[in-house]
Amino acid sequence: MSIDPRSTEPIYVQIAYWLENEILKGTFKADEQVLSQYALADMFNINPATAAKGLTLIADEKIVYNRRGLGKFVSPNAKELIVEKRQTKRLEPLIRQITEEASYLKMSEETLIKKIKQAYKKAGEFDE
Amino acid sequence: MNEIKVDHVTKKYGKKVVLNDLNITLNYPSITGLIGRNGSGKTTLLNMLIGYKKPSSGVIKVFGENPFDSLFVSTNTLFVDDRMQIPNTLNLNEILIEMGRFYPNWDEQLASKLFNYFDLPPNSLHQNLSKGKKSIFNMIVGLSAYAYFTVFDEPMTGMDEAVRKDMYRALLKNYLEKPRIMIISSHHLKEVEYLLENLILLDEGSIVFDGDIEAFRNYAVGLTGKVGKLEKWAETKDLLYHERVAIDDAYVVIKNNVSQAELDLYSQKQSPVETRDLLIYLTNKRRGVIDDVFKTDEIESSK
Repeated sequence: MSIDPRSTEPIYVQIAYWLENEILKGTFKADEQVLSQYALADMFNINPATAAKGLTLIADEKIVYNRRGLGKFVSPNAKELIVEKRQTKRLEPLIRQITEEASYLKMSEETLIKKIKQAYKKAGEFDE
Repeated sequence: MNEIKVDHVTKKYGKKVVLNDLNITLNYPSITGLIGRNGSGKTTLLNMLIGYKKPSSGVIKVFGENPFDSLFVSTNTLFVDDRMQIPNTLNLNEILIEMGRFYPNWDEQLASKLFNYFDLPPNSLHQNLSKGKKSIFNMIVGLSAYAYFTVFDEPMTGMDEAVRKDMYRALLKNYLEKPRIMIISSHHLKEVEYLLENLILLDEGSIVFDGDIEAFRNYAVGLTGKVGKLEKWAETKDLLYHERVAIDDAYVVIKNNVSQAELDLYSQKQSPVETRDLLIYLTNKRRGVIDDVFKTDEIESSK
């Protein structure tokens, strides 16, 4: 994934989202250090203050914690926090959107589920 | 003491007010974008910050000192633009050596690496370089000096796309190495937006916006809805732009300070406003739109 400067989503939100995904994937494990604002700025070619905002966002949600002078570390329960938050805030609205569109198009429930199954399989392969 | 402060600064040339009562604080470290149209007062402001010109009234402090006639400020600041005074009796290589003697934080290694990367001719005179190569040289000086306060005024003039991209990348890497105060002045917000922490938008000598770049992205909201309902309501708000779309639909842009419930009530669709468009709306108020120029018939017939 990379940062999309044209997205309506603020860059720092995209940074937070990327960090969450990396935590879910296990790139950063519990009690391990995540990237600093400067490393993130270098990696995504953005201002370090913007990267810092992304870090602050997940620190406020207790997904990472601060060790004075050292940086931000992954909370032991980070994965649970991310999953819980994203299910309600991200996945469910998306599902509503998809089903609404499908019903406008008079697509049957069966067809929709079939398409979702296909896409789900692809997402799994993509993740590997 | 580490910061830069502009306190009630006004600049007049004769009777003409070029900058009107500006108040600005630049924190250390930060990168600020200074954006404005031609004649908005950008360059005058930069010239005062760097100590080339004096304000007519008000106070400017750069690291606690008045920048005008201050040796401390001049050795710790650098102004990169296409009017940089580069002597023509020295070749490029000799100029770099001289720069190293003047700027206390000069990084000789960086200068020569950039010089090689961008393939500049070391024995040439500055005046014989192409426009793009001149800008490249000026940027190399700007980055290698590591001045605590560095101003880039339209620094990429004449460079081709690939070089611009490299140069912005070099600028960011350079900042990450040694964060300090930088101002990038440009017509092209889109090109520099991702590098910025703050944005100052100048229009006709006044500050139209000063704040976080993210706040600027959220400054306004675009609304689509039925003409009768939407337009009337929008006129009671901070209306920045409006146009008719289709037969009875309108598109308006208003300041984003209205509750979601109210937006839902008066519009059918809400969309973010591109920063490029927002710039135009915010600096177009007194100018009207280009179509007005062609409206002579209507004006005459209404007289």
